[in-house]
Amino acid sequence: MSLLEIENLRVTFETETGPVQAVRGVSFGLGRERLGIVGESGSGKTITGRSVLRLIRPPGRIEADRMVFDGIDLTTASEKQMRALRGPRLAMVMQDPKYSLNPVMRVGAQLMEGLLRRDRLGRAEARKKAIAALEAVQIRDPERVMEAWPHELSGGMGQRVMIAMMLIPEPDLLIADEPTSALDVTVQAEVMAILDNLVRERGMGLIFISHDLRLVAQFCDRVLVMYHGRIVEELAAGDLMNARHPYTQGLLNCLPKIGGSREPLPGLDRTGDWANV
Amino acid sequence: MSDFIEIDNLSVTFAAKGRQVQAVKNVSLSVGAKESFGLVGESGSGKSTILRAICGLAPISGGEIRIAGEKLTEKRAKNFVTRVQMVFQDPYASLHPRHTIDRTLSEPLAIHGIGNSDARVVRALEDVGLPSSFRFRYPHQLSGGQRQRVAIARALMLEPEILLLDEPTSALDASVQAEVLNLLNRLRDEHGLTFLMVSHDLAVIDHMCDRILVMQHGGAVEELARADLASANMKTDYARSLFAASANRMLETPPKETA
Repeated sequence: MSLLEIENLRVTFETETGPVQAVRGVSFGLGRERLGIVGESGSGKTITGRSVLRLIRPPGRIEADRMVFDGIDLTTASEKQMRALRGPRLAMVMQDPKYSLNPVMRVGAQLMEGLLRRDRLGRAEARKKAIAALEAVQIRDPERVMEAWPHELSGGMGQRVMIAMMLIPEPDLLIADEPTSALDVTVQAEVMAILDNLVRERGMGLIFISHDLRLVAQFCDRVLVMYHGRIVEELAAGDLMNARHPYTQGLLNCLPKIGGSREPLPGLDRTGDWANV
Repeated sequence: MSDFIEIDNLSVTFAAKGRQVQAVKNVSLSVGAKESFGLVGESGSGKSTILRAICGLAPISGGEIRIAGEKLTEKRAKNFVTRVQMVFQDPYASLHPRHTIDRTLSEPLAIHGIGNSDARVVRALEDVGLPSSFRFRYPHQLSGGQRQRVAIARALMLEPEILLLDEPTSALDASVQAEVLNLLNRLRDEHGLTFLMVSHDLAVIDHMCDRILVMQHGGAVEELARADLASANMKTDYARSLFAASANRMLETPPKETA
């Protein structure tokens, strides 16, 4: 049974110069699998992810023919129902730890907040769980990080703290928006392995939003390529390198390669018909 | 003749809440004039701190840094910034949000009493491939790639010899990254620049740099020439593991592991 079904999702923002459609008719289904969404900035991939949690504030508008999560209709759910879903069942790791962590709260307090309030755990137990979560994302010195302020963390540490925070309530569906963009390759591989484990052991669904095509090809089962608010190509991740759409091919070609030539990298050619959708 | 940038046994120590954190431990490296040198390693390995120590944003607690044979003093000499400039990782954070591009670019000229700023700003924009109509825009009206071009233009305003590049493309899309890397390579040719570049993307480093220093936990692990990287000819386990994690960035993509 599929965990999430979306049909014809449209997200519109009212601006001074008239309505702008950021997502223009996106449909996909998700089982307990790893789905990658790739595309450049502005392609609508983050907005698609946020719409699932209904985290688009007015004047933004979400419309969909159908948006169902585990039998719950997300288009008609009340704000109260949505609040109960966000966190324990639907979670999202945001892209930028600088803006997504509370700057005036110690990391430990932020990690424990949900455990204390939602799960009504005692302080000692909440602390133990928070430290275990930090260890699970390969933070070397969790005791020190618990006492740290967000501005004292590097970008990579901040991203791992956010992942730890989202994984504490063990959600059914995790939407990860560029969760590893500030991490270096070795830590990236570790974080992906953690997410991978959760999908396999707990049957979590994962939507992995990224602009790193190679990472997505390696870790996801299926990939959606988005351009200008639409899905232009859907592929099994293993076939990504043999993509047929000129946009996907262009994105692949402009990546430098180890041992590649020193010629200028090919830019993305946006003159084709596909670019004017 | 000595090398252009020489770093001898550099240590950088921060004091945080009475605890000493040694971010860089006895690292030595040297970069020749017009060479492009790369620093790689995981986050927290001290690679950015080395760049920050060179330009005075982090304290030099031990060892010394020499630029063209001149030892850097606690207070940098006035001509230091005309030789060494830095481009930061995040183009969203490194431009003044309430200064126009024109003001951002002309400020270094005003500080150093260099005239003819009008023509220089126009030329700088042209140099980094931005239309001159961008001159009176604010950073929020520009995309990430355009902002990074402005940051590069600002770094070049004083015609430095050395550019310190701290992950200049990691905040950018693949297609924009290609454009910025091409731009940097072209500018290096045209201006005869020396690059000291930090990145965690081995493919970017391989594309840009002639020699590479691998770092871990603040220390130097191994120095590699570009040919060693492509042929996976490294001596230490750490460098090898870093390379293995980047295997999907090789020229020929290895068959996907069955996960």
